[in-house]
Order: sequence, then structure tokens, then C-alpha cells
Amino acid sequence: MGPNYRYGDYQRETTIERNEISYNNLTPKLEQDEQGNVKPYSPPPVKLRSVDVFKLLKPYISVRFLDQLKAVVPLAIYLALFQFFVLRQLVQDSFSITAGLFAVCIGLMFFMEGLKLGLMPFGEVIGNTLPKKSPLPVVLLIAFMLGIGVTFAEPAIGALKQAGQIVSVERAPYLYALLNDWSGILVLVVGGGVGLAAILGTLRFLYGWSLKPMVYMSLAPALVLTIYASGNPELSKILGLAWDCGAVTTGPVTVPLVLSLGIGIAAAAGKGDSGLSGFGIVTLASIFPIIGVLILSLVLAATVTPAEIIEAAKLAAASAPTGPAPWYESSPGGEVILGIRAILPLVLFLYLVLRYLLKEQVKNAGEITYGITLTIVGMCIFNLGLTYGLSALGEQSGSLVPASFIEIKMMMGDMVTNYGPIYSTVVGLILSLGFAWVLGFGATLAEPALNALGATVENLTNGVFKKQTLMMAVSIGVAFGLAIGLAKLIFELPLQWLLIPGYGLGIVLTYFSTEEFVNVAWDSAGVTTGPITVPLVLAMGLGFGNAVDALEGFGILSMASICPILSVLITGLWVRFRSNAQTKAATQAGSTSPDKEVQAI
Amino acid sequence: MSERNITYLTDVSLITCIVQRGLGDVIVKAAREAGAQGATVYYAKGSGVRERLGALGVAVEVEKEVVNLVVSKEQQDLVFNSAYLAGNLDTPGMGFMYVTPLEKAATYIPQEVIQRLQEAG
Repeated sequence: MGPNYRYGDYQRETTIERNEISYNNLTPKLEQDEQGNVKPYSPPPVKLRSVDVFKLLKPYISVRFLDQLKAVVPLAIYLALFQFFVLRQLVQDSFSITAGLFAVCIGLMFFMEGLKLGLMPFGEVIGNTLPKKSPLPVVLLIAFMLGIGVTFAEPAIGALKQAGQIVSVERAPYLYALLNDWSGILVLVVGGGVGLAAILGTLRFLYGWSLKPMVYMSLAPALVLTIYASGNPELSKILGLAWDCGAVTTGPVTVPLVLSLGIGIAAAAGKGDSGLSGFGIVTLASIFPIIGVLILSLVLAATVTPAEIIEAAKLAAASAPTGPAPWYESSPGGEVILGIRAILPLVLFLYLVLRYLLKEQVKNAGEITYGITLTIVGMCIFNLGLTYGLSALGEQSGSLVPASFIEIKMMMGDMVTNYGPIYSTVVGLILSLGFAWVLGFGATLAEPALNALGATVENLTNGVFKKQTLMMAVSIGVAFGLAIGLAKLIFELPLQWLLIPGYGLGIVLTYFSTEEFVNVAWDSAGVTTGPITVPLVLAMGLGFGNAVDALEGFGILSMASICPILSVLITGLWVRFRSNAQTKAATQAGSTSPDKEVQAI
Repeated sequence: MSERNITYLTDVSLITCIVQRGLGDVIVKAAREAGAQGATVYYAKGSGVRERLGALGVAVEVEKEVVNLVVSKEQQDLVFNSAYLAGNLDTPGMGFMYVTPLEKAATYIPQEVIQRLQEAG
């Protein structure tokens, strides 16, 4: 027993100043007009002292900032430490990289908050009212156009465009052309794929279709196109980009906006009761863009020859103005323009649909304007941070890692020095692959979307499939994905050798799995590729590819997509196998309880 | 059939604390440290000061957490004060809290506790 205090003593000692006010004195005294009716009362705005403003804003900002910081800092520290202790190189431009990472945090903080306040309300209102006021074809058309719009607004798409500048035109002309001259069309095609996925997802919401046949039917053309393209030595260099595009599109704008539209439509049609209806769209939104990009590259190959592209690129390089680029192309002007161009069309489209098709007023106009402004500002700052922080750090780490097992050339200002190998080939290879493995594992575990997915899955399966199990399965999948992707670059394995067996195995496992796990597993691939992982891994892959003299550095993300699908499907089968075995054992012992059978999904 | 009985608890108060989404945990922790036995948290939407704060209103979440604490009359003021201070309710937009006297309450009370109280008279 601790010492006893009389409560009265405590009250006397306590330093809190206590006052009492009658609430009667605080409530407004209503005035009456001549007829004796009460005049409506509107409260005056609250006047705040500056200390109150600070107290109000501090938790608001710090919580949101810390969220982003928690995702970025561990990755950055890991990369820096690895570079310092294992590769024995200091981080170059550490000041601008730190500033860039800071900008990434600030930008994402603004962007996410703006998304919540500005864009999501639009999505919900449209999803709720559109099906009531328009026939199905119009709804599907809007879903399609929304799919294109959100793709442009996706932060990671900017990283893809940046990656194009590193590709060498002589070695992969089609890849260069797609990422530079045709980059607008590329994004449009990817967006078209997302749009198509939105249409199918909406129909799935309405009619409750199973995901399995959709996965088979959309993977078949993707794999056929891949096999066809792999037969052509020029086209096969595009495979990495095509499959990576699928991972890039399913980011923080696409997933929630398309989902809120779909859920709204399903609710309006009275079919929103199935807990699983939310899954599946993400999967389709990552497979269709792959098909789109593959078809686009066939079109490209039919229109121009590699020689023409190299010629044109050389001509452009020769005729390029040598003076400073115009302000809208050089940093930071370029990033700002990019940011505005990404968000504004989407907002305009949503507004026009709401105002003229649905004839709805925009509620909370002030708050939505604030949200949209935040989204745009956030996108611009994020783009800046991408250039100076994430991409720079990723490229640097990626280009230095090979030094652990081969000799690489390092640019120090204008001087080129040879550096490495630091370790013997075997140790260096193990270190490099281990580096990718840990990076994938850590980055995925920190992904907030994965946490949310895990919680949903645990609820849906009544606790049989634990949240921790799913998070581990996905993280280990991504870890192996990154390691395999890196191995692909080192040993110059053709991507189709990895993709076709990988997805083939995925199809076989899908066939044997139950609908729940199919939904979850295929969606987990989209969840892992967030706004921080994608630019970092893309830049790292390209830097690594350059350093080991690989043809191109794409393909790592696509491996990071297929591996978690497989690992979750396998885990799902294992969980089912184990609970089946338990049920069987219980039956044989003659003590089957009904609730055990319910649990055995 | 065994005989069943109810033990009523008297001198019970309910402290209700309405704060922004995500800030309820601080209140619960402070209240437990001040002797509260437990808490019930549920989600709600609120309005009021948010509209009157103007541009700063965005810093106040519409989504609220309502923390219900059942405390004894003796604990009531101490828990109330700790929760108020922990939740920074002396800042505009942070939340609102009140105490309701409860006529009686009931829950499981361990047999030895009842016995001890009866022996003490």
C-alpha cells in the first residue's frame, strides 16, 4: 500500500487554478424581432492569441510531418550507413540530399492532407450521386476518364519521366524514345489502362464478379505480348519498363480515388455489403497498363526504326541550345510546372463532372480550395525533393553498390577515377543482394498502406490470417523481389525468364487458392509500391544498371510486384492447410466444435 | 439452479471527454495514471468551434474520439483534472469534457472483494 492522502489535501496542494463559471453566462441571449420570433443566431468567429494558434497548429502539423518522416528517415539512414561502412564512401552532396529528403517529407505531408481535404470529397460525392443521375455507360465513361486523370496526378509517374534522362539512346533506342519523345503518350496509355481497370472494377462492384477469371484473362495477353516482345532483341529492352509501369501507377492517388468511386457506386446500387468488394481493382490497375505499354511499344516499333531514333536524338542533342534552359525547363521551375500540370486537370475534370453533369453544388468550397492548393503545393515540393533527395540518393547508392564486387568508374567532378572492388566477388555479390533484400524488407514494413491492408485482412478472415503474418509475407516477398531484380541486373538475366515462370506460378497458385486470398494477394503487390519506395528503387536500379553496364535498370519494381503475390498466396495456402489439418485432427478425435469449422476458411 | 445476485455500485461518475481523432489515447493514459479503472472509446463526428475558427479550422479534425471513463466520486475531480491537462483542453478546438453523476452501476466484483468489504463493515 502506498501512502494515503485525503482528497481535500490534494486539492489544497494542487497548483491548478480553478474557477467556476455558470454556463448560463456563456450561452448567447437570443433577440426577438417585432413579431416575437427568435432571430437566428450566428456565433462570432473565435479570436485567438498567437500562443493558441501555435498550440492548435503544433499537433496538427507535427503528427502529419512525423508520419512522413518515419517512412523516409530509416531508409535514408540505412542507405547512408551502408554506403559509409560497407562501401567506404561518403555520401556526396549530403547537404542537398538532406534538404531534398526534407522536401519529400514536407511535400508528401501537404499532398496527403490536401488529398484528404480536397480531392477525396470530390470522389465520394461523385461516386454517390453519379449512378443515381446517369445511365451506366456515362458512369463507365467517367470512371475511365478518372482513371486517366489520376494517373497523371500520381507522384511516382514523375519519377518515371526523370528516369528517362539516364537511358542511353544508342543501347536501348526504343526505351529512350518511349521515355522522352513519347513520354506524354506513355503516361496516357498507362492512364488508359488504369481507366479500363476502373471500368471493370466498377462492373465488378455492381455484379460481384469473381477476380480469378479476370486475373487469368488479363494476364494471358500480357504474357503473350511479353513472349512476343522477348523474341525481338530491340523490343525486349522495353519489357522492364512495361512491367514496372504497372507498379508505378498504383499509388496514393489512384488507389483511394478509384476505390471511393467504386464503393460509392456499389453503395448506390445497394451492393456494397461484401467486405471483399474493395479488393481487386488495384490488381487490374496494375496489369492493364502493362498490356497498354507493350502494345504502345509495338506501335512504336512499327512506326520508327532504332536508327531513326538515334539519328533524331543526336540531332536534338546537337541543336539543343547551349545556354541556360528556359525557366520552365530548369529546376526548380520544371518541378513546379510538373506539379501543377499533374493536379489541375484532374481537379478541373472532377469539378466539371460535378457541376455540369450532376448539377451539384460543391460543399465546403473554402476547405476544398484549401485542400487542392495544398495538393498542388505539396506535389511541387515533392517533385523538388524527388530530384534532389530520393532520386539522387537512390542513384548514388545504386551506382556505388556494384563497387563491392567489380571495378567501377566514379565521377568526381570532372575527374574519372576507378574504384573498387572492395571485396572478393563472392562476398561482394552476397553483400549487394543482402543490401537489396534488407532495403525491400524495411521499406515495405514501413509502408502505411500495408498496415491498413493487414488490419482489413485480419478482420475479414476472423483472425485466422493474422495482420503480422500478412505484413511479414508481403515484406519478405518484396525483399526477395528486390534481390532477384538486382541479380537480374548483375547477371543480365532476361526479364521474361523471371516474369513468365513467376506469373505462371502465380496463376497456378491462384487456381488453388480461395477467392479471399486471391483478392488480398494480388492487391498486396500494388500496396507495396508507395511514393517513397518507387522513386528510390527506380533510381537505384538505374544507377546500378549504369554501373554494372547493364542495358537498362528497369524490372526491379516488377519483381517487387510478383514476389509478394507469390509469397502471400503461398502463405494463404499454408494457413488453410494448417487449419484444415487441425480440423481433421479434431474430427478424428471426435471433438469437432462448430466454431472450428467456421474458422477453417 | 444457483442463486444469482447483483451488487450495485453507488457513488459512480461518468467522465466523458470528446477530443480529436487520434488524441484519445493520451487522455486514457492520463486517466489510468490518475486511478481510473478503464475507458471506452468510440468514434464520432463533431461540429462547433471548427466553423468559428475560420482558416485555422482545418487544424481541427471533424472526426472525434469520445472517451468514456467510469470513476468513483472520490476520484472524479483528480481524473477530470489530469485528463483535462493531458489533452490540452485549454486550447481552442482541442475538445470538451463533462462529468455526469450516475445513479448506480454494476459489473463483476470478485468474491473476495465483497467479503473484505463486508468484514470491514
